[in-house]
Amino acid sequence: MVLPVWWRKRIPRYRFVGALCKECGRIHYPPRNACPYCGSRNLELIPLPRRGVLESYSIVYSVPGDNRLNAPLPIGLVRLENGVRVVAELTDVVPEKLENGIEVEAVIRRIGEDGETGTILYGVKFRPALGRK
Amino acid sequence: MAYVTSVGLVRVNRNYHKSPRDLAFEAASKALENVKLDTIDYVIVASSLTYLQASQFDLAAYIARELGVHVKSAFAIEAGENSGLAGAEVALNLIRSHAAERILLVGVDKLTEYISNKTYKMIQAIYDTESDAVYNVGHAGPMALLMRLYMDRYGVDRETLAHWPVMMHAHGKENPYAMLRFTVTPDKVVNAMPIAEPITLLDAYPLGDGAAAVLLSSEDQGGDHLARLSEVYSSIGFQSIALRDDPLSIEAVGQIAREAGLNPEDIDVAEIHDSFTITGILLLEELGFAPRGKAAEMVAEGAFTKGGSGPLVNASGGLKARGHPKGATGVYMLAEVAMQLAGTFPGIKADSPRKGIAVGVNAHGSSARLAFLEAL
Amino acid sequence: MANSENKQVINAGIVGWGAYIPMYRLPTREIARVWGWPEHQYKALNVSHKAVDGPDEDSTTMGYEAAYNALLRSGIDPKMIGAVFFGSESKVYAVKPSATLIAEMIGATPDTMASDLEFACRAGSEGLKASLGLVSSGMVRYALAIGSDTSQAEPGDVLEFTASSGAAAFIVGPRSESAAIVEDTYTYVTDTPDFWRRAEKPYPRHGEGFTGEPAYFTHIIGAVKGLFERTGLKPEDFDYAIFHQPNGKFPLKVAQRLGFPKEKVLPGLVTPYIGNTYNASALLGLARVLDQAKPGQRILLAPFGSGAGSDAYSLVVTDLVEERQDKAPKVDDYLARSYEIDYALYAKFRRIYVMLPRG
Repeated sequence: MVLPVWWRKRIPRYRFVGALCKECGRIHYPPRNACPYCGSRNLELIPLPRRGVLESYSIVYSVPGDNRLNAPLPIGLVRLENGVRVVAELTDVVPEKLENGIEVEAVIRRIGEDGETGTILYGVKFRPALGRK
Repeated sequence: MAYVTSVGLVRVNRNYHKSPRDLAFEAASKALENVKLDTIDYVIVASSLTYLQASQFDLAAYIARELGVHVKSAFAIEAGENSGLAGAEVALNLIRSHAAERILLVGVDKLTEYISNKTYKMIQAIYDTESDAVYNVGHAGPMALLMRLYMDRYGVDRETLAHWPVMMHAHGKENPYAMLRFTVTPDKVVNAMPIAEPITLLDAYPLGDGAAAVLLSSEDQGGDHLARLSEVYSSIGFQSIALRDDPLSIEAVGQIAREAGLNPEDIDVAEIHDSFTITGILLLEELGFAPRGKAAEMVAEGAFTKGGSGPLVNASGGLKARGHPKGATGVYMLAEVAMQLAGTFPGIKADSPRKGIAVGVNAHGSSARLAFLEAL
Repeated sequence: MANSENKQVINAGIVGWGAYIPMYRLPTREIARVWGWPEHQYKALNVSHKAVDGPDEDSTTMGYEAAYNALLRSGIDPKMIGAVFFGSESKVYAVKPSATLIAEMIGATPDTMASDLEFACRAGSEGLKASLGLVSSGMVRYALAIGSDTSQAEPGDVLEFTASSGAAAFIVGPRSESAAIVEDTYTYVTDTPDFWRRAEKPYPRHGEGFTGEPAYFTHIIGAVKGLFERTGLKPEDFDYAIFHQPNGKFPLKVAQRLGFPKEKVLPGLVTPYIGNTYNASALLGLARVLDQAKPGQRILLAPFGSGAGSDAYSLVVTDLVEERQDKAPKVDDYLARSYEIDYALYAKFRRIYVMLPRG
């Protein structure tokens, strides 16, 4: 039963918002209690750009847990248009076509489920960007 | 400082018939074998998975009680893969502050208690469970991202990087406590089963169980000792590689290397945390043993093996071949370096080493520790 | 009279529209290969491929993307959305609304209504109609209506050829802000069990031929004729005719019977390429038409849902349509994004294989 654990941090996952530090001006995702750079608690939530570049990726074969459905599972390090980086699963990927430098965009997908009878966890993944903006 | 008085190691293996408590007892007994002791001030247990697997609270007390020696206090230290050296950090400071005269540091963890995909899910928690590890990154995912980034940035190919596991296996073959005692070729490494591309099975530590114990004593304790534990430096790093300005820098390691005034020329022997090939390579560069982008090349040239131009690195076989029972690993490292400095290491021996280091990190460097040891 | 004798005054229209189609495509010939159908069986349906939801997709995620695209086109602040309707027959929870998930994801919460509707393939349209009423009465400023399905069909049943996945969404708002205003709408409903799914059963059943004349044709023709009678409109007045599209043939047949030439139907006919997306079926056709429509054009939209019922809408495109068309991916962008898979992979994605219980 993972009810509050998944629920309490849903907004940044659903709406892809990060935190802007009013002290040092840096942005991070997901929003934390204090700025990871300067330690300030003076943070403001801001929507993040949904497009970015794939800086690195990996195809995970030893998928953890009961997750054979998602194997092979691509993950990536994405640098968003505003310079903020995110580690996330990738989706809608043809593994042979993956390469560093492609444009990717944020989408919402199922990222987990609490067994067959528990709740479903939704969050951001990245896919190769569609043609238009 | 504190003396490393004695050590006890269990061979890392699929020790199905031994519980965490059994393994800890075995290692601790070996460390206490030739030492006449009535009292230990503290038993510090370093473990990361045992609480989850054995569902045991106050683990250290239960382990301590079975030793047959009067123990005043016992507690466990958890710092992920860095638990062992974290335990050493605490032990050293308790001894230095005269809160203790004798501390038994025992590291123990089992990675074969559950089937592999369940184990990988547990181990995934070495990464930030509020960001990267919300996803199914597995135990290797984030490091695989770094490996590809590294290969791209420095133009180092897959084949060159394979020389690290080759060296690890060559070293492990000679170490009776190593889990894997067979050599591999670069070709075998490159073509091994992919775990998280580009990391293959032969780039990654094997799943094994183990325990290691080190008896640390204060300056006032007479008798024979193996080596001197002079200092343990530590630093805390970013929660995710995504937060770094340069994802490839393990800033916590750089920090402690600077604090320690580390001069690679001075270091004779080192045990470093090579959870994956890329971790070992990045650590070599972060510690200043190799220029950025050149570590793999230097490994291939034999710089870090016996007779090489650099320190003897991971004579134990490293996490790759000796094995990586998570919480215990740091204690293995400590014991191995101490034995090298005392001339008693049962595998490949360094030539009259004077100074040695054990460097551990958790995951991509959420924390890092460097233990600095000297010969007596 | 349930439907009033006079033309309705609807002070609302479509302010933004959006679509979503997954990238995977299963060729219908693969289904025939595995289950031993002769090619005549699926060729008669005029469907070459069907869109398949990937392993991390469901009606919620597809509905969200369509809604997000509609939001982009509308340009409104999501906090102003006062109602979210989620029409589906493949909701991820039998109890727990998907509408609240999407409302939260879009940013409409907490000051909003949210409900999941069911009417086989027509719940999305019911949501659209309810939205028009809520906005027109002034009870809410904007409403979001979504039709989304990861359509079910029993493996080996002829329905399997066409049951596919997709979503469409519409933000309904004041007439003055609409890219297409709604002139009038007429609904025709009876208790006709042509296709159903019993509670707790994974696959629906249907009456084969019974789904045709007594269901699809009777209700669509009933609704459209009702609309014509009340408004005085005729087929010649329309530039597009979009019907519920369970296969690539029925819409052309009903169009012919109603007096619409094929050319008016084809722009809104997507089933031949991606199959029948159930609640997104006619609505994806509407999205595609809006993607290319010109100001002043008139659109007939007639969704149908088994059980059974049909709505007929008459929409007129406004000057605002052109500036919004490029603000989000178009139906054709999703159609172009296609990756062919085989039956085995489809079976994995659709969780047809029997596995040990997870978790």
